[in-house]
Amino acid sequence: MDWIKVASAEELRNDEAKTVNVAGYGVALYRIEDEFFATDSMCTHATALLSEGFVEDGCVECPLHQGRFDVRTGKAMCAPVTVDLRTHAVKREGDDIYVLSPVGK
Amino acid sequence: MTSPGVVIVGAGQSAAVAARALREHGYRGRITMLGRERHRPYERPPLSKAVLVAAEEPRLDVLTEESWARSNIDLLSSSDAVALDLLQRHVRLADGQVLEYEMCLIATGGEASTLASAPPANPRVHYVRTLDDARRLRAALQRAPQVAILGGGFLGLEIANSALSVGAAVTVLERATSLLDRFLPPEASAWLESVMREAGARLLLGAFVSGVDSLPSGRLHLTTNAGDLEVDEVVVAIGLSPNDALARDAGLEIAAGGGILVDASCRTSNEHVFACGDCTSQQRPRQAAPRRLESWQNANEQARTAAAAMLGAPLPAPAVPWFWTDQGEHNIQVLGVPAPDLEYVRRGDPAANKALWIGHRGAVPLHGVAVNAGSDLRAIRPLFERGRPVQLEDFQLDTINLRAWAKQMQADAVATV
Repeated sequence: MDWIKVASAEELRNDEAKTVNVAGYGVALYRIEDEFFATDSMCTHATALLSEGFVEDGCVECPLHQGRFDVRTGKAMCAPVTVDLRTHAVKREGDDIYVLSPVGK
Repeated sequence: MTSPGVVIVGAGQSAAVAARALREHGYRGRITMLGRERHRPYERPPLSKAVLVAAEEPRLDVLTEESWARSNIDLLSSSDAVALDLLQRHVRLADGQVLEYEMCLIATGGEASTLASAPPANPRVHYVRTLDDARRLRAALQRAPQVAILGGGFLGLEIANSALSVGAAVTVLERATSLLDRFLPPEASAWLESVMREAGARLLLGAFVSGVDSLPSGRLHLTTNAGDLEVDEVVVAIGLSPNDALARDAGLEIAAGGGILVDASCRTSNEHVFACGDCTSQQRPRQAAPRRLESWQNANEQARTAAAAMLGAPLPAPAVPWFWTDQGEHNIQVLGVPAPDLEYVRRGDPAANKALWIGHRGAVPLHGVAVNAGSDLRAIRPLFERGRPVQLEDFQLDTINLRAWAKQMQADAVATV
């Protein structure tokens, strides 16, 4: 159970996402207001990075086909996506954002 | 006596989404779905891509297993509706069975337009509309054949890219002198042309086929205005014809360019009959003439609209037409509807494989085209929904944050009301 520091809070604006490296594993990190969330970066439907998606109302829309996921729960919200996204625990200490390593879970 | 319920003619994307939407609205009557194919409703976009080339065929069901079960649909597969009787309110099947309806939804989709010189009966000729069509082409592509693709539209080019990815030698013949010139600004069309050539396709533009003949070897000889050619397989992708014959024969109104005429609520000229998806031509408010939209989005949106209208529920807000195509590694998205008189401004650089165009009339955005920039197009969608003039100089500047610009334009549009 390793917490990996992945970013500083100011690297993301509200409703922005980026891919971060967590123990060699690509994770999409989102900022919703002052909260941070993390999910797998690859869409469950096609080969697309959700970190390049459109973030609004707590959801990320895949840049390829507009499938939408709730970034808090990973739930697939609308077609064409049907398979939920894996989420990762995030914690903030000061301005440092940590993601729990998915390795060894 | 129990109500005969809803009969849905067709079992594709639109039919499945409509059935699910009826249940989501609380409809508890019977839903009977008539499918010509032997499959449950499946997604068609992968037919020209993953189904042709992926190591394993992807899951294609429109509804998840759970959603299918919950929707409680009586699917009569491999059944062909041959007549619709508007007075008796029933549908007759080819096997003589008669199904009464309280309300009928026609979601019969479309069929690939055929080329007289390349009839679908020829085993080396492929039309890609159904899952079985795609599986047959997949088998042929595994022999790394020489393929001629007749038609350089979105579907033909997707198939070309798929075929190239598994080692086929591909020639695309397109009648027009530039690719998709009715749907893309010239810069995007030129970009697509260069991408196709780089991927290894031989593109013959301004080319058409006058004869396809089987050789003793089994191969096909094509006579074209650009010279003769010999290939193993021919794929024809020259467009879609709406399946409107059932409606036409029943006496329902058909739009001038084909397709079952429906209003904004997807109702046909008969109050008990609705239609959705590729088989329709819809008259929307503030639109000069009815329009056919062949897209995954339209199949879904019209299905939801029809379901709501059948139950007297509020209609979902109309969506700006949106369409995507995956061409090899590249994703192209189109928002809105093109028109010959639009002017285009661009952000990004097609040479770097990422660009976004706004086609506008008097600075009102009407047609958006994204090359590998789907999220950017999504960010400016509210401006297409609003239909007010925007400030286009800043849009073209890479130094301006697009999302901030879009938000500002929305705010300005409100401020000038």
